Amino acid sequence: MFMSDRSLSGSRIQDRDGLTPVLRVLGLWKDRAPRLVAGGVLSLLALVAALVLMRGAGARMGGLAFGGAVAGLVLLRGAGVARVVLRYIERLVTHDAMFRALADIRVWFFRRLAGGAAAGLGFRRAGDLLSRLVSDVEALDGLYLRIMVPLAGACVVLPFLVMAVLPVDPVLAVIVGGLFVIGAFALPLLAALMGRREAAILTQRLADLRIGVLDLVTGLREIRAFGAEGRMLAHAQARDAALLRGQARQARLLAMMGGVSYLCGQAAVLAVLAAILGVGLGPIPAARGVGLLFLVIAGFESAGGLTRAGALAGGISRAAARVVAVGEADGPVVPVGTRPAPAGTDIRFEQVSFRWQADRGAVFDGLTLEIRQGARVAILGPSGIGKSSLAALLLKVAAPTSGRIMLGGEDLATLESSSVRQRMAWLSQATHLFADTIRANLLLGRPDAIEADLWTALDRAQVGDVVRALPDGLDAWLGEGGASLSGGQGRRIALARTLLSDAPILILDEPATGLDAETERDFLTTLYDVTAGRTVILIAHRLVGVERLDRVWRLSDGRAVAAAV
Amino acid sequence: MSGDKMVMRAWTRAQSRLGRRQAMPVLACGLLAGLVAVGQAWCVAAVLARGLIGSGTAAWPGAGLLLAALAGLAVLRALIMAGGDISAARAGRGGRRRLRDEVLGAILRGGPALLRRRHSAELTALAVDRIEALDGFFARWIPASVLWIAVPGLIATLAALVQPGAAVIMIVCGLAVPVGQAVFGIGAAVASRNQFLAMTRLQARFLDRVRGIATIVLLNRTDDEAGRLATAADELRRRTMKILRVAFLSSASIDCAMVVALVLIVVRDGATLEVLRHGGASAPLADAAARSLFVLLLVPEFFAPLRALALAYQDRAHAAGAASAMDDLPDGAGAVVVAGDVVPQRAEGGVSVAFEHVTFAWDAARGPVLTDLSFAVRAGEILTLVGPSGAGKSTIIEMLLGFIVPGSGRVLVGGADLTAMAPATQSGLVSWIGQKPVLFAGTLRENILFARPDADEDALAAALRAASVDRFVADLPQGLDTPIGEGGFGLSGGQAQRVAIARAYLKDAPLLLLDEPTAHLDPETESEIFASLRILARGRTVILSSHAAGVRAFAGPCLDLGMPRCVEPGAARMAPIEEGHVHV
Repeated sequence: MFMSDRSLSGSRIQDRDGLTPVLRVLGLWKDRAPRLVAGGVLSLLALVAALVLMRGAGARMGGLAFGGAVAGLVLLRGAGVARVVLRYIERLVTHDAMFRALADIRVWFFRRLAGGAAAGLGFRRAGDLLSRLVSDVEALDGLYLRIMVPLAGACVVLPFLVMAVLPVDPVLAVIVGGLFVIGAFALPLLAALMGRREAAILTQRLADLRIGVLDLVTGLREIRAFGAEGRMLAHAQARDAALLRGQARQARLLAMMGGVSYLCGQAAVLAVLAAILGVGLGPIPAARGVGLLFLVIAGFESAGGLTRAGALAGGISRAAARVVAVGEADGPVVPVGTRPAPAGTDIRFEQVSFRWQADRGAVFDGLTLEIRQGARVAILGPSGIGKSSLAALLLKVAAPTSGRIMLGGEDLATLESSSVRQRMAWLSQATHLFADTIRANLLLGRPDAIEADLWTALDRAQVGDVVRALPDGLDAWLGEGGASLSGGQGRRIALARTLLSDAPILILDEPATGLDAETERDFLTTLYDVTAGRTVILIAHRLVGVERLDRVWRLSDGRAVAAAV
Repeated sequence: MSGDKMVMRAWTRAQSRLGRRQAMPVLACGLLAGLVAVGQAWCVAAVLARGLIGSGTAAWPGAGLLLAALAGLAVLRALIMAGGDISAARAGRGGRRRLRDEVLGAILRGGPALLRRRHSAELTALAVDRIEALDGFFARWIPASVLWIAVPGLIATLAALVQPGAAVIMIVCGLAVPVGQAVFGIGAAVASRNQFLAMTRLQARFLDRVRGIATIVLLNRTDDEAGRLATAADELRRRTMKILRVAFLSSASIDCAMVVALVLIVVRDGATLEVLRHGGASAPLADAAARSLFVLLLVPEFFAPLRALALAYQDRAHAAGAASAMDDLPDGAGAVVVAGDVVPQRAEGGVSVAFEHVTFAWDAARGPVLTDLSFAVRAGEILTLVGPSGAGKSTIIEMLLGFIVPGSGRVLVGGADLTAMAPATQSGLVSWIGQKPVLFAGTLRENILFARPDADEDALAAALRAASVDRFVADLPQGLDTPIGEGGFGLSGGQAQRVAIARAYLKDAPLLLLDEPTAHLDPETESEIFASLRILARGRTVILSSHAAGVRAFAGPCLDLGMPRCVEPGAARMAPIEEGHVHV
């Protein structure tokens, strides 16, 4: 049931407004502040060198042509070298800082998703939603490199410009400064505000397209069987067209904003020239005017990318909002225990009631059952009756709404979840095989296992021969979701991983799925022997008849009814 | 590896050719913008020259005129740049739309067989995200790859008319850029930036770990994996920075060339100006100053396209990565071409099916799944396929669906060779119900009408009744119009299977293929589904692949693919047709 819960996918993660999530992300980067700031400072120095260079070049020309103070060649050469070297170092430092900061975000995100209340999320969120969150993490790299650093640059250029023009002509200084404020701050802000709405629409349309394509790909059998190729293609194309229309509107908006921002710079150039000619402004000495002119050109050019960055800011802040929202109070609340799990592994459900969400029906209503240490029991029932919920409760992924669950005589709610999970190994319907080698996948079950243990586990899961036949054996690479093996073989690898674990309690949810009838019988027959001394909770919708079990319960109406062994 | 590279190069070249037509407006805007930039530089230089010698001379146009011209040129350039941006975006969209159509077409052509090789999520990522990432290739790289020669060439030519010496300096410094890049292998480093860097591998690892987070949490490996993630990210950073150190030289070399050009021109012209100034004549001095300033102002414009090319280089690298992913998709030539259309004979109660000496292998290395298999089913009969997984049950069904064709031998439906039928005829023959029906994003109604969009309300109601969908529709929040599938209401396995049965009813095909339709259901639901399937089977030929428990669901012959015998004693008799026997 928990994998198919759709209510959380899509719209549930609401974007909170404005800067809060961005500030939250910046808070996470606190430890990286020295590097990030160093990168920013270097970038400012490079910018200043560029301004000095352009101004110097212009002033020298002006000075030589019109007389007056002549900027020294040494200064010019120095500024030139500084510009090239500083720019190079700046890019290295900012990128290095960015990679570190992104790595921090990834690890934080991963822990956050894994930790505390979020443990439940992993079960419940649709895979594609997670992928979106992963790309949101990546989108955050633009925050520093494309927004913060250039914005800091603009904050330095503004006083630099104004201070340079002010002694020459105060009115001109006001005009140039005003135009710079419009081009570097007002327009990007406007673009950010307008881009926010556009970004929301585009995100939605991209998600629609992804769903449309995913439908087309996963439904290939249905499509072929019903001859629906044309219809499905048209459907996906319509979604593609909607996305492209949205992008076209955004591109037009950006192009217009870019044009206006360029005109701000040109207006400033015009103002300086008018002042030189004495038309309406000035006049100012031509020699100094030339220097100012070059400075103005370089200054406005440095702020040219901000408008585009502003338009992206909307998308980035939404990404930040989604990333920081992960794990915020939308999973089932599980009490955080502090005590280590006791040595005993008797399990007792006492009058347990449970529902996944307040607005959903009760899964259990007064469930009571006892599983003694070392017992082999089966819990049967049709799908949707709560067999997997039972496992979730035991593993502290969810907590009972009333009643309590005892492990070794202690209330599960008081026990630390990681120590509880050390006692239990669970093979679920949704157990994930990682894109890694078979060996690495198995070692997740018990990191200190030796090679012989691995083979034993594989043989017990009836998949040893399959792995032996692979050219790379244990080091064979499992594709995404175990894609390079058949579904049944992948399940058996997962089963081997569970059997490999030295946990005293094994919870096996339909372990024989993907086995053919004969192998299924073999496996269930030997299960009793290979799990000697351990508690086995076998969850199934039916028994084959060869299992050797101590007890069998059938779930019905939220309670467990003892059934004949 | 070199084969891969050739594929990529060929692909990039082909795409460039296709994209260039749409890039024409971008190129035109780029060239026009270059021309306007020259005009602007001239106006600015003229203003400054005027500023030197004062008004009242006829040698230079009036101040107002110059400023007006400058303003006009600025507006013109803003418009051209905006036009260029818009057409670049259009070229990007055009390229992506074309590629996406191609990829979706290829996926549909490849059909279900493709899913045996490629993960559905991977195919989706290819058709959606990888193609989105190619925007820059069409919007930026293709124009930049032309403009980096054209615009500097144009500017240098015009500058040469005014100030040949300075133009030579510009050209020499400009040429130093590609030469320097070749010498330092910068281009190669930039290109490898995205592939070799394995950024994508870290992303894939991260995504994979996040998807399997529940498994990690429950195995108590959160700390280990978080640590490993941090190590991998750090390792990636170190390797990336090693390459970026070279790659950033690319833009540094452009910066450097520009600064050198700037300083050289200042030094050279400065000397001339100084001589003229000491000479005392104001007109030649103004003229020389104007020329120098003009060229100086052109320097940044000259280097801008080179910078754009360096920036776009990573867009090209993206494209190379996507090329290898797309290369694996079936192309148009691989599709089975059916010359004519053979019409099968339909009998009263279904259609006959016969396999004649059919051999098939999914993978030549692993040996055939079916070897010289022959059997026949009469119209209206029900054949149950049994055998261990991998024995070929699904292969037979997929062959009847036309997803795959026999390696040798023939499959006859209604006496006609399946491969000689037009696709529409073929798909009109069969209904299919698999283990887990795919529910598309949409309403329940849309999902059922998927089988026959033009079905009327009566037909729909009949299908709903026959498949017992009507039993659970009332419990859904919006009845038939409840959204299901991705992001919609989750249906249980049994309910989803009823949707599939309703689809089969609507389609009303003479041959019904059932591929373990109850594999994921509990016994109670299983028996209910089989009851509905028995009703659906009336008047149709049925081929059922099932696990042991399902075999008893239908009376009729049974074909055991695992061993040459039948499990049900009562069904030991194969359909008594001419040469009805089973080879395994």
